[in-house]
Parts: sequence; structure tokens; C-alpha cells
Amino acid sequence: MTEPLVTFRNVEKRFDDFVAVRDMTLDIHEGEFLAIMGSSGCGKTTTLRMLAGLDTPSAGEIRIEGRLMNDVKPHERDTPLVWQSLALFPFLTARENVEFGLKMRGVAADERKKRALDWLDRMQIVEFADRNVATLSGGQKQRVALARSLVMEPQMLLLDEPLSALDANLVIRMQGVLTRLQKELGITFVYVTHSQSEAFAMADRVVIMSQGDIAQVGSPKDIYRTPANRFVAEFVGRNNIFTGKTGGSDNGKTKVSTLQGAFLAQTPDNPPGPEKQVSFTVSADLMTLTLTEPDADNKAKATLISEEFIGSVVTVFLEGQAGQEYKVQMQERALAELDLSPGADVWLSWEAENANMLETGS
Amino acid sequence: MTGRWLNIALAVYVGLIFTFVFAPIIFSLIFSFNSQRFPTIPLGEFSTEWYVKIFNDPDVWTAVRNSLIVSSSTAVLATVLGFCTAYTDFRYNFRFKGPYLALILLPPTIPLIIMALAMLAWLSRIGMSGQLWSIILAHSVMTAPFAMAIIRLRLHQMDPDLEAAAWNLGGNEWQAMRHVIVPFCAPAIVSALCLTAAVSFDEFAVAWFVSGLNKTVPIVILEIVQGNIDPTVNAIGTFVFLTSMSLVILAQLLFISRQIKSHS
Amino acid sequence: MSGPRKIDIYALTWRLPIILWQLVFFIGPVLFMVAISFFVVKNYRMTEAFEFVNWQRMLTRGFFWDSYWYTLFIASLSATIAMLVAFPAAWALAFRASDNLRRWAVFLLIIPFFTSYLVRTFSWYVILAESGVLNAMLGYIGLGPFRMLNSHFGTIIGYLTLTLPLAVILQTVTMANVDKTLIEAARNLGCKPFATIWRIVLPLSKTGFIVAALFCFILAFGDFVAPFYLGGSQEPTLPILILDTTKSGQQWPRAAVVAIMMMVTLFTVAFTAIALAYRKPKGSKG
Repeated sequence: MTEPLVTFRNVEKRFDDFVAVRDMTLDIHEGEFLAIMGSSGCGKTTTLRMLAGLDTPSAGEIRIEGRLMNDVKPHERDTPLVWQSLALFPFLTARENVEFGLKMRGVAADERKKRALDWLDRMQIVEFADRNVATLSGGQKQRVALARSLVMEPQMLLLDEPLSALDANLVIRMQGVLTRLQKELGITFVYVTHSQSEAFAMADRVVIMSQGDIAQVGSPKDIYRTPANRFVAEFVGRNNIFTGKTGGSDNGKTKVSTLQGAFLAQTPDNPPGPEKQVSFTVSADLMTLTLTEPDADNKAKATLISEEFIGSVVTVFLEGQAGQEYKVQMQERALAELDLSPGADVWLSWEAENANMLETGS
Repeated sequence: MTGRWLNIALAVYVGLIFTFVFAPIIFSLIFSFNSQRFPTIPLGEFSTEWYVKIFNDPDVWTAVRNSLIVSSSTAVLATVLGFCTAYTDFRYNFRFKGPYLALILLPPTIPLIIMALAMLAWLSRIGMSGQLWSIILAHSVMTAPFAMAIIRLRLHQMDPDLEAAAWNLGGNEWQAMRHVIVPFCAPAIVSALCLTAAVSFDEFAVAWFVSGLNKTVPIVILEIVQGNIDPTVNAIGTFVFLTSMSLVILAQLLFISRQIKSHS
Repeated sequence: MSGPRKIDIYALTWRLPIILWQLVFFIGPVLFMVAISFFVVKNYRMTEAFEFVNWQRMLTRGFFWDSYWYTLFIASLSATIAMLVAFPAAWALAFRASDNLRRWAVFLLIIPFFTSYLVRTFSWYVILAESGVLNAMLGYIGLGPFRMLNSHFGTIIGYLTLTLPLAVILQTVTMANVDKTLIEAARNLGCKPFATIWRIVLPLSKTGFIVAALFCFILAFGDFVAPFYLGGSQEPTLPILILDTTKSGQQWPRAAVVAIMMMVTLFTVAFTAIALAYRKPKGSKG
């Protein structure tokens, strides 16, 4: 692999007593779409601001293309940011907003105008070039903000929850716009969001942060199917989490005795050994629901509590014999065929390969 | 039941209050066109005598010139000082910020007569009294808080990311100031210029103490009032009123009305 | 931006000018005024000294204390009158007027602050005179003439010219910000209109009202125009005392003593009022 574009080495950021980012080590590669995800206050925006030079690390090193950036001022960097608030200049027209960065860099007026119009055209809003930005719609403002950053032809674009102010269907459209742009331009996108759907839909890699720490880095699929720890498993949602003691392991599977019974789980790369407290997760959509006892590695009896519909997919909530909650995701049609009502007794089953053991101690 | 009568009574009462507040202004206007030397009811004939009189008085012209110089210079100085403080308050946190803000906001709470005495004594001491610019110095201290308040209000409305966005796009702090903060504050700056000019244009106590022989319009009024009853005061007063009002209305149109709307 | 401590020229550019300016042209004058109260005047010339002669001279004289108590009394009286007279109007504007009407009323009441106070005072002088407009009008209905100038009445009319618009504005804004649902709740629970004012509106607007009264007091306490021209300065107030001693007698040190006494009084009143305004009601925590 080539030299990473950005490296964070043991970066820490404190605000008085509050630690916003703790001991962060992370590489960002050229041309990737990286999403940094977490709930508010997890340090994701601080990470982005440090990359843009708006916050200075309290400890550690941030390098871009090998150059130490800790004390480089924001305006001496090539890291345009698309702001959550968009931060468009309200006293300027759309075109003047897009020209702003070029003007700061001393580009001549003709050249500025040409490049700004090119980008507005590319964002399909060239007809609004001379309108005051205050009169534009949310989606149009979004495009002006993107054009304003991209006209700088940066090697890396930073985005701080840029879609959070838009309504749902516009978000989906803008996601398409963003992924296409990133592929066409081949530049690095660093995208901060609290939305799992945005991160998973667009990013090549996702960084999940929790209280200033990185909880897991991986592809959306890795994070979804094999959450590394309890935090990620709970954060990405719709996971069934089991906790118990390890027994013997055999053929890549480890036996785990839980309150709900003994189950087989996939042995992780560094096996925990016997008699250890461990947790494993099973995605809700990898569980099977049957009326009769199935022939499977792992099975459990449960009682149906409620159903929750999102489009054609339904999440079924059940209660196990030890009182714990199960979640199963399935097609609405398949559920209808079973003809269940709350209180019905059913069987759950899942494959041992789909039982993903978490890091011990999490 | 009594709601209707109560409303009528209240409306009449509010009307009386407004009558009390505006009676002296309106009567002054009427008297200025009245031929009587000592105006009363019934009014005398319509006359522009007093206007003609002040128009032909070179002292009045000098005073008008002085007043314009003082109020415009004061406005510029006070607005610059107010802007610096408003921006500092908006952007920075530092130790002793409380005393720092008190330093600029305190002067209007001190009675004019005390301010006048203190200014006179001090400016004489450092050899700066008795000049036209002595008034400008004193007025800038007294009016800067108004400019600060108006500009601070405007900055409060600004998306705090806006300045950072300018840095992020390659502008240094000075460029961000020039291309983002100042344009954003422009309406408030013009409004502050108008209001500080209006306050300075009317101020008589401090001006009277520190000006020496240089008279501004309010000082001329003061001197006429100290002598005998002379209706030219009404004519000058009307002129002063119109000047101040144009400034206030300009400020209102530019900024304050928008401010009120955006806050309610 | 933290890091190694460097001198941030940009930050200082915005911070320093006002500090220097106010030190030279505000703190300087005020401190110097304190200093000259210890200077002595010999042969009409002020010489630097550190003597208490001016303090002794002023504070042991009956006329100073007469003037002091009179000023305190008439300023308090006019502040009280302004607050009482303003209240029904402010109440009407806050609760009976539309938002738009209230906004206009407040704007109109701001106008007088930008018109010459001297001209307005002169106008009152003409209106209130022995043969002036008001007495002429009263004469038609067989009353008067009344002597309204050169009296406490005249002084208070002058003070009200200054303070009444402010009292109405501050009271209106304060009451308009009272949560209307609380008033409706009180009415709904059977509270009579006047009891609602007394038990709900006034307690909730306490801070605003105290601040309004304080402003009225400060304006009246420091004004020399109304007592001088309309009150006839028979009983000189402290500002008139300062004016006379400075302008006619060249006795700046003695004027400084009066000014310092005024400032001490004002600060005492202001701090007391603000402490009252922000005092927590009985029985509340914290």
C-alpha cells in the first residue's frame, strides 16, 4: 500500500478538563471515502476540525503527505470543509460565494468567474449564479457549498454532517451526488456524520468513535456483520447480543454457555480460551423464525411481543425463556405467511458462522 | 362588561402620555413659525421671521459647521472603537474580560455634569481643552457604547462558522475581517454611525464645558436660553430635530427595524 | 489558538485601542477629578496639593447637605411619579395592544431621546409660563392662572420629560415578556384582574421595574437643566451646585467634591437596586 495521505499519531485534544479526542491513531488513504461516525460529543467533529486546522491537537502528530500539520494555520492548508451550517456568506451571490476561495488565493477576476460558473454548472445550479444565497432552497445551498469547496481543486474534501438539515428524500439524492462526485474526482472525502445510513451508503471505510476513542475501523460490511465490541454492536443496532462463558472449541467454533442455553459461535482470530466471559452478536436479519423446532446449530424458544414495520421489512421483537429480548428482521411477506399474533410461541435459529464473538473485555 | 370602557379609558390614557411626551416637540415646531415674541394662545400670525433671523446669523452658521464636524468625527471614532470592542467580545475569551467590557460600557451611566467636570479638568491638565476636538474626544468616549451595542447585536446574529469558513477557504485573519466580518456588519456599522452622530449632535453639557470658545448648535441654544426668551431657539430646535430625526430614521430603516423583526 | 505563547498581533489590534483610549479619556478624567478634590485654589489658580480643605469646607456646610437631601428627595419623588404614571400606559401597551402597535409605540417613545432636551425644556418654559399656553387654555374655563414655573412642579415636569418615555418603554418591554399563559392560568383559577397584576405580573417583572426606576432616578439625579430652567434653582440641586462652582467660581476642587459625593450616592443606590432586583424570592433554592 502507498503512503497514507493523512496520518494521526496518538493525537489528543483537550478542552480544559474535557478530553474530546483521546490517543487517536488513524490513517486516511488517498482517494478513499472515509466516514467518521458517532453520537454527538464523541469527538468526530473535533477530529475533522483538527484536520482543517481549526483546532490544534493538544498532543500527538497530524501529518498530511508526511508534512507535520499541528501548527499550520487553517488558511495555509488545502482542506476545504463543507459545514454543517453550510456557512455560506449571506451577503454574497451564489457565484461570489464559489469565487471566495479563489479570491483569497489571488486568482484573477476573469479566471475566478469562469471556474465558479463551471462548478455551478456541474452542480446544475448555474441559473442561480447571480441570486443571493439567502433566496436559494436547502438543496441548492448545499450544492453552492459543495461547489465553493470543490472549486479549490483540493486533494481532500472535509464534510461535517452536510446533509443533516435536508429532508429525507433530498438526503438520498445528495448521497448519490456525493458518491458520484467522489468517484469522478478521485479525491479523498472525509465525511463526519451521526447517521449510520449515510455512512454505510457512501463510505469505503467507516470509523466509529465513542467518547473520544476509536471503537472500530472497517468497511461498512465488516462493521455491520462483525462488530468488534459491544459499543459498536449496540450502536449499529438490530444486533442480538449474548453473554456467557466459553467452553471447548472445535473446528473453528467455540461453545458459549449463556443463560439462554449453550450456543456455538465463530472462534475469533485470537481465541479467548476456555472459561472466559465473552459476548457474541447475531444480526437480526441472520436469525430465522420457525413455528416448529428447527434442525440447527443454535436454537432457542421465544414468545412474540411486537412487530415494527419499515417498508417491506419488519423487525419482530421476542422474549426468550430467560426474559431477554430478541430481534429478528425478515420480509413482511414471510412473516404474514406464519400468521402469528402476540404471545405466540416460536423457535429462533441461526448459523454458528453468523455468531460473531466480540473482543473480550468489551 | 366593563372591558370596552376599560379599553377606551386606557387608550385615552396612553394618548395623554404621548401628548405629554410630544407636546414640547410639537409646540416648539409651532412656535418656530409664530410671530409672537412670547408665544401663547391665541397664536400670532404665521411667520418665518425666526428662521430668517438664524439664517442671517453668522454665529449660527459657525455653530452648525462646528456641530457637523464634531458629530461626524465622533461618529467615526465611536463606531471604530465600538466595532473593535464588539468584535473582541464576540471572538475572544480572556481574563479580565468583565472589566474590559465595563471600561467601554460604563460612561453613559455617569451623569453628564460630572462627565463634563471631569473632562474639563483632565483635558485642561493635558493641554487638550478648549478645542473643537476636545468635544470629539469626550463624545467618542460617551457614544462608543451605543455603537458597540448595535454592532454586537449584529455579530450575535452571525453564524459563528462564517469567519472560520473564510479561513478554511484560504483567507488569513485580516482577509476574513475585510471580506466577511465587515460586510456582514455593514448595516449595523452605518446604523451605529447615524446613532452616535445623532447623540453627539444633541449633547450640550460636556460640549459646553470643554469647548472653550468653539460653539456647537446645542451650546448656542443653551446660551440663548440663558438669556431672555428668544423664539429663535424654536427655529434652531426644529432644525436640530430634523437633523437628528433623519439620522435616527436612517438608522432605523437600515438596521433596527430588521433587528426587531428578526427577534420577534 | 493555543500552543506556544506568541504575541497575537491580530487580537491585540482589536483589543488594545479601546483600552488605551478609555484609560486616557475616561479613567484619566475620573481619577483626575478625584485627585483635584484634594488640590487647593490660590488666587484663582488651582495648585497641586493633598489637603482635605475642600472636603472639609463642603461637607461641613449646611447648604451642601440641604442641597444633597433635596436632590435625593426630588429625584426619588420624580422617579416614583414616572413609574406610577407610566404603569397604566405600559400595561395597556403590553397586554392590550397588538405586537405591531406596541413596536410602533416603543419606536415613537425612543424619538425624544434624540431630540434636543434643551429645546424641549425651553418649550415647557413657554407652555408653563404665567401667561403661557397652558394658563391661557385654563383661563378659557375660568381657572388660574397658576404659577407653575420656578417651583418643584416645574422641576418635576422637566424630569418627567426626560424619564417618562424611558419608564414606559422599559415597563412595556418587561411586561410584554411575561409569559401570557401564566396570566391566563391565574384568571382561569379565579384571580381577579387587579389581583392578577399584583400577584402575577408585578412579581414576574420585578427586575425590569427596578431597573426602570433606577434609570429614572439616575437621569433625574444628574440633570441640571430641569431644576435650573423650570425649577428656577431656588433650591439648587447638586448638579446646579457643580455648575455654579465650576463655571462662575473656578472652584473645580469643590465641584469635584460634590461630583464624587454624587457618584458615591449613585453607585450605592445602583448596587442596592441591582441586589434587590436579582434577589431570589423567599423559599426558592440556590
